[in-house]
Amino acid sequence: MTKSSNVVLLIEDEPKIRRFLRAGFEIHGFSVIEAENAAEGLKAATFSAPDLIILDLALPDLHGAEVLERLRSWSNVPVIILSVVSDEDEKVRLLQAGADDYVVKPFGMAELLARSEAALRRYFKSATENPVVTAGPLSIDLVARTVSLNKGQIRLTRKEYRLLHILATHVGLVVTHDHLLKEIWSGNQRDNIQYLRILVRKLRQKIETDPNHPRLLTTESGVGYRLQARFEESSAE
Amino acid sequence: MVQKPATAFARPIRIRGRGISRLDEEHSWYRVLQRDVLPLLISLLGVGLVTAPLLLLDHTVATNLVPVAYLIPVIIAATQWGIGPATLASIASMAAADFFFFPPLYSFEVEDPQEVVDLLLFLVVALVSSNLASRLRKETETLRYREKEIQQLYEFSRLLAVCFTVSDLISAIQKYLSHTLGQQAVFLAAGPDGRFETPVSGAVPKAVQESVASMVATIETPTRTLVDEPTQNVWLLGPVCSETAVHGLVAVNIGSGSREAVAIKTRRVETVLEEVSLTLQRLDIEKAMEDARLHLQAQLLRDAFHGTLSHELCTPLAAIRGSASVLDSIPAICDDARASSLVEAISDEAEELDGFIQNLLNATRVTAGGVSPRLEWADPKDIVNAAVKGRDRRLAAHKVETEFAPDLPLVRVDSGLIAEAVGQLLENAAKYSPSGSTISISARAEQGRVTLSISDQGVGLTPDERQQLGRRSFRSQRHQATIPGSGLGFWIASTFVAANGGTIDVSSRGQGQGTTASIALPSSPMNPSESAAQSDD
Repeated sequence: MTKSSNVVLLIEDEPKIRRFLRAGFEIHGFSVIEAENAAEGLKAATFSAPDLIILDLALPDLHGAEVLERLRSWSNVPVIILSVVSDEDEKVRLLQAGADDYVVKPFGMAELLARSEAALRRYFKSATENPVVTAGPLSIDLVARTVSLNKGQIRLTRKEYRLLHILATHVGLVVTHDHLLKEIWSGNQRDNIQYLRILVRKLRQKIETDPNHPRLLTTESGVGYRLQARFEESSAE
Repeated sequence: MVQKPATAFARPIRIRGRGISRLDEEHSWYRVLQRDVLPLLISLLGVGLVTAPLLLLDHTVATNLVPVAYLIPVIIAATQWGIGPATLASIASMAAADFFFFPPLYSFEVEDPQEVVDLLLFLVVALVSSNLASRLRKETETLRYREKEIQQLYEFSRLLAVCFTVSDLISAIQKYLSHTLGQQAVFLAAGPDGRFETPVSGAVPKAVQESVASMVATIETPTRTLVDEPTQNVWLLGPVCSETAVHGLVAVNIGSGSREAVAIKTRRVETVLEEVSLTLQRLDIEKAMEDARLHLQAQLLRDAFHGTLSHELCTPLAAIRGSASVLDSIPAICDDARASSLVEAISDEAEELDGFIQNLLNATRVTAGGVSPRLEWADPKDIVNAAVKGRDRRLAAHKVETEFAPDLPLVRVDSGLIAEAVGQLLENAAKYSPSGSTISISARAEQGRVTLSISDQGVGLTPDERQQLGRRSFRSQRHQATIPGSGLGFWIASTFVAANGGTIDVSSRGQGQGTTASIALPSSPMNPSESAAQSDD
């Protein structure tokens, strides 16, 4: 799905991190622009029109969250956050502020590429406009509202379908609890994460080969859920 | 005439001085004699001493001098011994005047009514002036006493000003009370159990010992007085405390005596204790400032350590791990078995290092001021799966089996912390059991708790090892040389579990019999039903 010449902008102050990111992205057919601080990064984002931005949180001149906020004031370009802190609250804040996904250092290139591709796919969705989302053996037809597993159609309840629908529109990307709760329960149960946990359990029983060890609908501890885009990747990780 | 009373003035002082030195002998009859009888006798002698020279003078001259001359012994008696001897001297003087100088001479009869009036007038004047003189004496004495007391308190506060520790202070109190006040004083330190130290028997009477044993050491402990029956001595028990802490108790023997004397001495001891408590407050403040300074320094060091670890170590590590992962995706390397095994080794070592750094970060996080869990309803299955996934490389050589009870209730915990705790236990299980053996994880619900158990088929634990397991940095002697580790893992796990309101328990049937570690987490029976989650409202 990735275009041969997608441009990725790396906003990262550590040269050693930029070096391997550049190599990793170039091997996978991206063109790379580097920026070593927030000011340069914002400038490059304006003038070079990248298709994807990899943003480090700890920048010397401005915090990454601030950079994200400025970017989001005029651009919808996909942003993946690099962070060293595995602080769930901060991840949730960044996702709500418009980040598409995050990876926590140290991370493998495969993980970052998977996230990048998922973010790009979602970004270019409107252009390609394919109503069927596939995730391993699962395919979800967003127009016909049907779900099939290994070619056989399965029946979901309204709420289960709603949950799967939201995850499918973000396939490969994390979706926060808040987002899911807001979309599925618009009423007074919005804050009740217990309902979401139970609903996820029921959905897993219908779509996972082994619901006790989910490989399609995975949990991001303290943050949300993710529908894995590529089945093999989730098993390899 | 003037000199004779002067000798009478000097003598009693000498006698009094000598009397004090013998006070210890405790001869009560002697004390009564020297305190009460002797002044009366000397007063009478004084009257005699005035009479003798008057008798030698011309009778008319003497008669004119009589009223004035006899006032001398009266006033001296009043200023020296008070109103009693002075009254006796007044009456004796009147009698002597009547007997020796008023006609008929050498008789107590009086002829002239005018002389009766004179004598009575003399008596009144003598009594009034002796009263005034004795009052003056009393006030002078009080003033002198006060001055001495203030002087001593001043000395005491100078002593306190150079106290820098509580033990300095305690020795100052003891020194002051027992030496300067001349009173027996004992200091009893407050123990950690909220009781005062038991006084050495013999140092204080039994009644005081019992009273001390019954007292509870709190800041509100009031000053207490009690009478020791056998000796009739009054003892004062006063707490030595600042605003925040009780340091001990002072038991002072006030001695026996009139209620007034005891009250005065009690007040003095209380003044001393007030001074002491002010000094203690000063010491408390100094200590608090010192503590705060040390705490701040420790905090700064810890922050610096944290910053260094997360930046100086994590960044190169991220570069190593990332670079290895890039190499791993290059077809030329993937196809070369030797090259790809080296790349894998780099990744494994980087992950190992990362695990070690994360442990150190977690340990500093725990010591920095505790863990504050972010509680949220979580599925125990998700927690176990996350823990297994996080340690998959280290579990690669083992068979991992998981078993979840059907319909596990949700748990309200910080899932990140619990997953880390489970991960630590898994890592220990892998470390201390042979490759190829099975590690089984089970999750089940019982009595309002969800229990996650990790069992291995490894070296097991001796009872002694089991006891010491919770200690930070504990590593058993058996494995120190053969299996690498920091001894932080179990400590981190138990701290994280405890912060979430859970408990951790480790059991082993013995050496070589495998180990089972169980984490019990509080769960709520109020989990929403499936239908509630599915309903459209």
